[in-house]
Amino acid sequence: MKNRTLSFAKRNLIEMSRDSLSYIFCVAFPLVMLVIMSIVNASIPKEAGMTLFRIDNLAGGIAIFGQTFVMLFSALNVTKDRSGSFLVRLFASPMKSRNFTGGYFLPLIVVAFVQVIIAFAASFIVSLVTGTELSVLGLLAGAVAVIPSAVMFIAIGMIFGTIFNEKAAPGMCSIIISLGAIVGGIWFDVEGVGGFMEKLSRCLPFLYSTKVARAAIKMDFGFDTFLMPLIVVTGSAVVLTALACFFFGRKMRADLA
Amino acid sequence: MSNAIVTNGLIKRYKDKTAVDGISITVEEGKLVALLGVNGAGKTTTIRMLTCLSKPTAGTARVLGHDVVKESDEVKKLVGISTQDTAVAENLTVRENLEFMASLYLPKERIGGAVEKAIKAFGLEEFRNKKAKHLSGGWKRKLSIAMAIIGEPKILFLDEPTLGLDVLARRQLWTEIEEIKKHMTIVLTTHYMEEAEALADEIFVMINGKIAAHGTLSELEARTGKTGLEEVFIKIAEEY
Ligand SMILES: Nc1ncnc2c1ncn2[C@@H]1O[C@H](COP(=O)(O)OP(=O)(O)OP(=O)(O)O)[C@@H](O)[C@H]1O
Ligand SMILES: [Mg+2]
Repeated sequence: MKNRTLSFAKRNLIEMSRDSLSYIFCVAFPLVMLVIMSIVNASIPKEAGMTLFRIDNLAGGIAIFGQTFVMLFSALNVTKDRSGSFLVRLFASPMKSRNFTGGYFLPLIVVAFVQVIIAFAASFIVSLVTGTELSVLGLLAGAVAVIPSAVMFIAIGMIFGTIFNEKAAPGMCSIIISLGAIVGGIWFDVEGVGGFMEKLSRCLPFLYSTKVARAAIKMDFGFDTFLMPLIVVTGSAVVLTALACFFFGRKMRADLA
Repeated sequence: MSNAIVTNGLIKRYKDKTAVDGISITVEEGKLVALLGVNGAGKTTTIRMLTCLSKPTAGTARVLGHDVVKESDEVKKLVGISTQDTAVAENLTVRENLEFMASLYLPKERIGGAVEKAIKAFGLEEFRNKKAKHLSGGWKRKLSIAMAIIGEPKILFLDEPTLGLDVLARRQLWTEIEEIKKHMTIVLTTHYMEEAEALADEIFVMINGKIAAHGTLSELEARTGKTGLEEVFIKIAEEY
């Protein structure tokens, strides 16, 4: 049986695995942040009551932080192909629009999963060093629970990669990376600041991604803390994935006009 | 013999330019035809329409009986294209590139054999595990062409296949094209007259999006009273 989606997914996975930037952004960078923030956390006096960088909170934040870079790769994969003639050749092949979108998505989901496993393994080590308890079961639950969020970020990347060119797409991604970091509640307690920032963060899906990750790691599967945010994230992922497929299909038809 | 390609009043109009202006051609199965013409004559645009990469503004084109617009799914399974620009996956090795392309057209069990055949046919043995981005321009081009034939198309479109090849590599590729020709219909564009002379059964001369002349080399020579394709081409272009 010919499976063109899997063939294309394999090609994309190989291409990424041979690009050293993948390792720097998707693995090394989140790990470096994990270590730095853990050091920062160690210097915060207990009386301050600031727990955001404590490993049980930090691990979830790092997981979502990492996913924003998977989004960047998602965008780059598409723009790189679009800027060369290789995609033209594939457009002349029997590949359909869904083979392309599926083939771009699948390997990135793999990358995102591997990334979170590495980040959580490192988090576990940090928890041992710092003496903060972290449950392995919670980490495993977290690794699974953040998959919808990964899909969401990959979809955003694909949309940017399809709509914008090689020069503009990374810029758009960095806006989301910053936005995710600020209103996603990764690096500070956005719900505590109130005002416009808090409103904005509640209107965007990123905060919910972080909440899902943090709650799952703490094995807190309550409705408000886990389920509701998970529903928001999953809903966003579904909508954005549909949009990504729509935009790519439209782009392909336009290119073949 | 049946027809591989039949076009009828094929037109491609861009905003301010008619790239292909009502061409009606027939290419018999098993033939190698050369599409000649100066820069901007409309050769690539014609090939793009015949390979479903671009929709005709008007007119029709059938490839092995299938309409390029209405039955593009069928057409895509039957044609291979080597674009004017080299088109390979840069981070994949020669073998991986070929395997990938083969997997889009052939059932799993035939991929391995097809890849070996292509590697041998184009003398790519010593580069098989080399990444495409580390190949020289000429070898990359050969890989790009090998990727066009690996799906065993019935019709192969070669848009300036020998662009950027040295004299020896060009001659070598001619031999390889002669070999491929035994198995498929080929449409080739080139700016090298001696290439068309050496390879083509039939020649189409395009000028400003129109077919200015077509026939075998001897037919065109008889019609223009010139010898050699270069002289013939110049004469046709001047008279048009
Ligand atoms: N997408 C496009 N939009 C507008 N004009 C186009 C487009 N593609 C091609 N053209 C124009 O159509 C004409 C024919 O182009 P085409 O690429 O078919 O020529 P060609 O015969 O292949 O030339 P060359 O020998 O330089 O490759 C040119 O004038 C070109 O500028
Ligand atoms: Mg051309």
